[in-house]
Amino acid sequence: MFDLVEAFHRPSSIREALRLLHAGGRRARIVAGGTDVVVRADPEIRSLVDITRLGLTYIKRSGGAWAIGATTTMAQIEHSAALRALAGGILVEAAKGCGSVQLRNMATLGGNLANASPAADTAAPLLVLDAQVVVAGERSRRTLALADFFLKPGETALGKALLVEILIPAPPRGARTAWSFQKLGRTESDISVVNAAAGLQVDGKGVCKWCRIALGAVAPVPLRARAAEALVTGRKLDGSLVEQAAAEAAREASPITDIRATAEYRREMCRVLVKRALAECAARAGCSL
Amino acid sequence: MRGTSGVLIMKTMQLRLTVNGETRQWTIAPGDLLLDVLRREGCYGVKRGCEKGECGACTVLLDGKPINSCLMFAAQAEGCDILTIEGLAVGDVLDPLQEAFLDHGAVQCGYCTPGMILNAKALLARNPHPSEAEVRETMAGNYCRCTGYLKPVEAVLAAAGRAPAPARSGRKAVKR
Repeated sequence: MFDLVEAFHRPSSIREALRLLHAGGRRARIVAGGTDVVVRADPEIRSLVDITRLGLTYIKRSGGAWAIGATTTMAQIEHSAALRALAGGILVEAAKGCGSVQLRNMATLGGNLANASPAADTAAPLLVLDAQVVVAGERSRRTLALADFFLKPGETALGKALLVEILIPAPPRGARTAWSFQKLGRTESDISVVNAAAGLQVDGKGVCKWCRIALGAVAPVPLRARAAEALVTGRKLDGSLVEQAAAEAAREASPITDIRATAEYRREMCRVLVKRALAECAARAGCSL
Repeated sequence: MRGTSGVLIMKTMQLRLTVNGETRQWTIAPGDLLLDVLRREGCYGVKRGCEKGECGACTVLLDGKPINSCLMFAAQAEGCDILTIEGLAVGDVLDPLQEAFLDHGAVQCGYCTPGMILNAKALLARNPHPSEAEVRETMAGNYCRCTGYLKPVEAVLAAAGRAPAPARSGRKAVKR
């Protein structure tokens, strides 16, 4: 399958990895977990640069913020007791749905994002968490919002740089803050037909002070449903508001028809998942709808 | 591979790893997948199935963790410790999981069996007494196209000491 590959590199530093990637040009490919690169089997590949030995496998907490190395596997996220306490465990839940046990031992968080599938399960919870990605170039590093990272299916703002870290700023906390991740797939571990995540914070009167809603597999990229968020923010959370926000999120979606679902079905399920996510958040935040 | 002169050039590299407790050094091509190298070197218990990480027939334990060897480049296993089904028994003494698969008739054509047993081996190492739901969730990455999953699930639970031996209470030990 990869008979034409001429070199397999195992660099031990980011600098060396970047040099090898640049030297290899269009025909060089990054490999970490391999679960996307191998399946795609691009015959143009002539050199592979393994980034799993760069020291980018870690989960760090500092204050309320988190930094996760790009080559951290789904299994490591799933088994992190610390991450389970972050945002009601929505990232852990999303990682658990990323394929079988075997795949989760291989697939990496950085790969899930850099592959830029609109259906990437970890993208929706990370968007809700206002995550940023740290990107290393040959001369400098930059940090950009995950929301600006995805450009179109399979394409990111990475260019020739390397995704090295995912940053999660300290999220809102407290008893009146709640989170939810929703996924619709053929099976629990299958790719999402639609996914959604939400996070919200209400005050003592049930008025929403802060809201995030993110959608997956219903647009060219995973995206925030900003109009739906704006609708909810500043208003008292009730059943009717949840219905309206879900309908608004479905309007913000621009799904396509493919082998897994029709566009119409996706839009309708997007509405249902956002409604479920907001209802679950409301219940967890102690609001009765 | 053909170089500019049209002459066949074979690029190779060295791979050092431990397979079933023995140190190995193999010559591989840079694009070789771990599945192909293991089979080429005689580990025929590593089965070629879907070749896209869905069926689990190619499962091996890499540093104790189950992975799909069809999705891993062999070069990535440098310095790693690999267990295939060939390395599970100690001499003529089968692993309790292998015994349980035999006792429960959990093997039909046998193609999925090595992957199932290795995946279950890793599960029991980190969770010695899993629930049936945990066993089923773990085994979701191992497809059987003969007979199904009931007997393998029973076998794993039996090996974990969770279900009585089949001779005494048969299938009723496991709720469906």
